[in-house]
Amino acid sequence: MLTAAPASAQMKFFTMKKDSIPVFRGFSVSFDLVGAGMATFGDYGQYEGAFRVNLHDEWFPIVELGYGRADTEDEVTVIHYKTSAPYFKVGIDRNLLKDKHGPNRLYVGLRYAFTSYKVDITRPGLTDPVWHWDANYSILDYPCKMHWAEVNVGLDAKIWGPLHLGWSVRYKIRISHKEGDFGKTWYVPGFGTNDNSNIDGTFNVIIDI
Amino acid sequence: MKKWLLFLGVALVASCSSIECPLKNVVATYYNIYDSDGDLFELEDTLTIYSKTKEGKDTILLNRGIDISNFSLPISKSYPEDELYFHFFSNDYDVRDTVWIQKEDYPHFESVECKAEFFHKLTGVRYTKHGIDSLVIKYSNVDYDDTKIHFYLYPDCDH
Repeated sequence: MLTAAPASAQMKFFTMKKDSIPVFRGFSVSFDLVGAGMATFGDYGQYEGAFRVNLHDEWFPIVELGYGRADTEDEVTVIHYKTSAPYFKVGIDRNLLKDKHGPNRLYVGLRYAFTSYKVDITRPGLTDPVWHWDANYSILDYPCKMHWAEVNVGLDAKIWGPLHLGWSVRYKIRISHKEGDFGKTWYVPGFGTNDNSNIDGTFNVIIDI
Repeated sequence: MKKWLLFLGVALVASCSSIECPLKNVVATYYNIYDSDGDLFELEDTLTIYSKTKEGKDTILLNRGIDISNFSLPISKSYPEDELYFHFFSNDYDVRDTVWIQKEDYPHFESVECKAEFFHKLTGVRYTKHGIDSLVIKYSNVDYDDTKIHFYLYPDCDH
């Protein structure tokens, strides 16, 4: 038989430790170097920044804004894939360390994310192997959308003054998507590649304000 | 904290992506042969099916099928109508039919690492009736699914 948990137990997760430290502890801004490196030097990636509120060094409501891009052509299949679009994520992190007010933080967090993007997928020079007709393989400016959720685990380490550096690992769960009749898109701005790995990560430079 | 940094670094490296292209990646049309009673019919003697390339040369699609009750044929990737020539041949008969298959073609995409392919929707079929009594579309979507029979072929058993 299932029994309802007491209300006090349900609320316990959301409580804050009572001490002399004020609830509002300021803001921080951060920038992901992994995605930016991939976008700058690779075929796809995203530039992503975040604005985070510090509540008692324990709860951290966060808004992340980014711009993802992909422009690649596979050497074997000669398929050219191109997209670029902004995306946003909103969520909250919780600092799990016992020493909440220390210089380092260990987070677990949740995100909701959305992007609306268009894709160009072409394969120039495709010829029918039997009839030898030119096959016009071309999907242009096709509108797509995706909603997804992320579970994050991350850590920040204080380096100097307001400067922190931190890793995070994200597990992404697709909630809903509209990708048209042609199949599924390969790279989704902010979500990454649409493959069988739902994990990616960030390396963040964080500045407390 | 250093242990956590190491753990997360390893987790990131381990999260390398991989994309699996479908193992069933042949797009073709599938035919069953039936007699006038609707029973599966085995064509005892030779059926050859061919078409003409863009350059006007013959290209064999089914070569001398004997004792067959079903077969598959390729479908053009991006051309509105395929013209096929059915040649029924034995010691007793030698008849030819032309079949025109109308279709709509759609680019299909899995990943940049998977081959470019087209799926199709069969929209109509017409044919001459020398050796063919009837040819009907039973399933119109042509894709990687090799379990669907797209055409029922009823040969003229008087030949």
